[in-house]
Amino acid sequence: MNLRYLTKELYYQKRRTLMSILGLSIGIALLIILNSLSLAYRQAAHVPLKEIGADITVQRSGDVPKDLAGAVFPCSAVTIRKEEVEKIQKLPGVRGIGTGLLLWVFDPNRAWIVLGIEKENSIGPSLLRSSVTEGRFLEDGKPEALVEQAYARQFGIRLNDTISVADNKFPVVGFVDASRAAKIAVANVYLPLKEAQNLAASSRQLQSVSPFERGDVNLLFIKADQEKITSLASEMKGILGNKATVATPDSFLKLLGSLFALSDKFTLAASLIAIIVAVLIAFKTMAGNIAERAREIGVLKAVGWTNRNVVSQLMSESVIECFMAGILGLLIALVAAYGLSFMKVNIPIPWEMSPTPHFLPGGGDQIFKTLRLPVHVPWNLAFFAILLSIIIGGMTGGLLGRHISKIKPSEVLRHD
Amino acid sequence: MTKSTILSGTDLSKKYGDLEVVKGVSLAVNEGEFVCLVGKSGCGKTTLLSLLSGLEKPTKGRVSLDGREITTSSEDELALFRRDNVGFIFQSFNLIPTLSAWENVALPLFPIKMTSEERRRRATELLGKMELGHRIEHLPSALSGGEKQRVAIARALINNPKIIFADEPTGNLDSSTGEAIMGILNKLHKEEGVAILMVTHEDELAKTANRLIRMKDGEIMS
Repeated sequence: MNLRYLTKELYYQKRRTLMSILGLSIGIALLIILNSLSLAYRQAAHVPLKEIGADITVQRSGDVPKDLAGAVFPCSAVTIRKEEVEKIQKLPGVRGIGTGLLLWVFDPNRAWIVLGIEKENSIGPSLLRSSVTEGRFLEDGKPEALVEQAYARQFGIRLNDTISVADNKFPVVGFVDASRAAKIAVANVYLPLKEAQNLAASSRQLQSVSPFERGDVNLLFIKADQEKITSLASEMKGILGNKATVATPDSFLKLLGSLFALSDKFTLAASLIAIIVAVLIAFKTMAGNIAERAREIGVLKAVGWTNRNVVSQLMSESVIECFMAGILGLLIALVAAYGLSFMKVNIPIPWEMSPTPHFLPGGGDQIFKTLRLPVHVPWNLAFFAILLSIIIGGMTGGLLGRHISKIKPSEVLRHD
Repeated sequence: MTKSTILSGTDLSKKYGDLEVVKGVSLAVNEGEFVCLVGKSGCGKTTLLSLLSGLEKPTKGRVSLDGREITTSSEDELALFRRDNVGFIFQSFNLIPTLSAWENVALPLFPIKMTSEERRRRATELLGKMELGHRIEHLPSALSGGEKQRVAIARALINNPKIIFADEPTGNLDSSTGEAIMGILNKLHKEEGVAILMVTHEDELAKTANRLIRMKDGEIMS
């Protein structure tokens, strides 16, 4: 391969070079953008769970309470027994579990959504610690309450007031801004888990729907190995029975409904199409370029270039062109990814995961987690795209070079 | 002193399908000899030149160049042989449009392991002899027809060939430029002792050669 000849050929045949580079770069850009978009949807689908420090949430649906009085279970979250939690904890791939107890409490003059939380667990609603806007977070061993800021404002609850929840008194030690927190398992009042368990265990109404003991819960927040999430989800369903609702990033992905989010197969098929388009474009433009140079190849052979010399020269030109196309495709994709990253995506949170009685304000509204689509081009995808361009260049240059190198100089030089 | 044969073709025939373009031709060129192959268009002279230079294989017959039988050689062996022993001058110059004058001259040296400076030195020296020392960096598009053909002659000489094959080297040039090119070829033959086998259809040009071979309908007439 002669570098001088190569650079001059690319430089002086600008139209030819640009056409080749542009054509292939579009295919490469398409490949990168499709995969980046698909990845972005996947990452977006992780957000609702990540915000609560989990990869999986588990609950079990049950019967609708007969009377809405005192503490009851929402029908989407009834008892998960202590032994079941222990079994899940032992599953390979489970890295940690956070628990919670979500209750609807209907007092004579007010209805509350109450969530009992583990104060020190980094998995689950204890992440609310960072959303305290006034006062402080819950402390160990104290029967106290945090109230959601908007709810407190609506009902005139002030810091250090004492609220009565199902006839139990709790001093209000802080307010939290739920709009800054996760959209899963949001409540009006947050109590220490133990206090919420006491409320549940002593509620006859609740016990009649789903027997509950003091160590039980009704929400699980699970941190798991990423590659085991799908298999863990089915194992958990096996432990909790067919009424278990197991939410994973994949279930949110399905809710997004976008083609990019729907299936790996779509992205794979689209990527394959992009690659085939890129190869065809490269092959067609290179074939055209090389055909135009048949006479030149004849001269090279006449003056003593071997087939191998010719193939290596044409292959090098093709590899360099395709490499430049890969770089250009990557740049186009980076610009497109930046533009697409301004796109907003609304991830619907199923009512079951944050149940609010329908007759309460906002109870029937669909909750969305709205976020900017995190479109970016990961370095390994960029590397793959560049490598692919080089391979396409090598293949097309090699194949077409081999074909054209078989030309007989006398055939192309005789008709002057 | 008797000069030895540098090129010999024995009983050469070339068929394209049913059409026999060269019919049992035998000829020889001695070292340092200037031979002209003359004939009307389509008489088979260019085909014969291709057979003798190893650009094409004969249907029948043998070609021996510098004592080596080349008819049985592979494509790549022939290419290497041409690189080391043969120079070509074509009617339409056949310069690479993206390469400068000196790079075109050095084209046969590109596949050889050699520094770029050495290639440039050798090419520049030859271009100087062709009185093109001031045009070494120019692209073919910036050269006149005569200058292009002089670049092509320099390219044919870069590997110090034993024989140059010239196919209508003045065919695309006006008469005065053509005469100048013929002057260069004659000078090469006389001063450098390079054997030349030239194809032309112009009798006037052929007169400067040591020997004239006339072809008609694929056969040698005289």
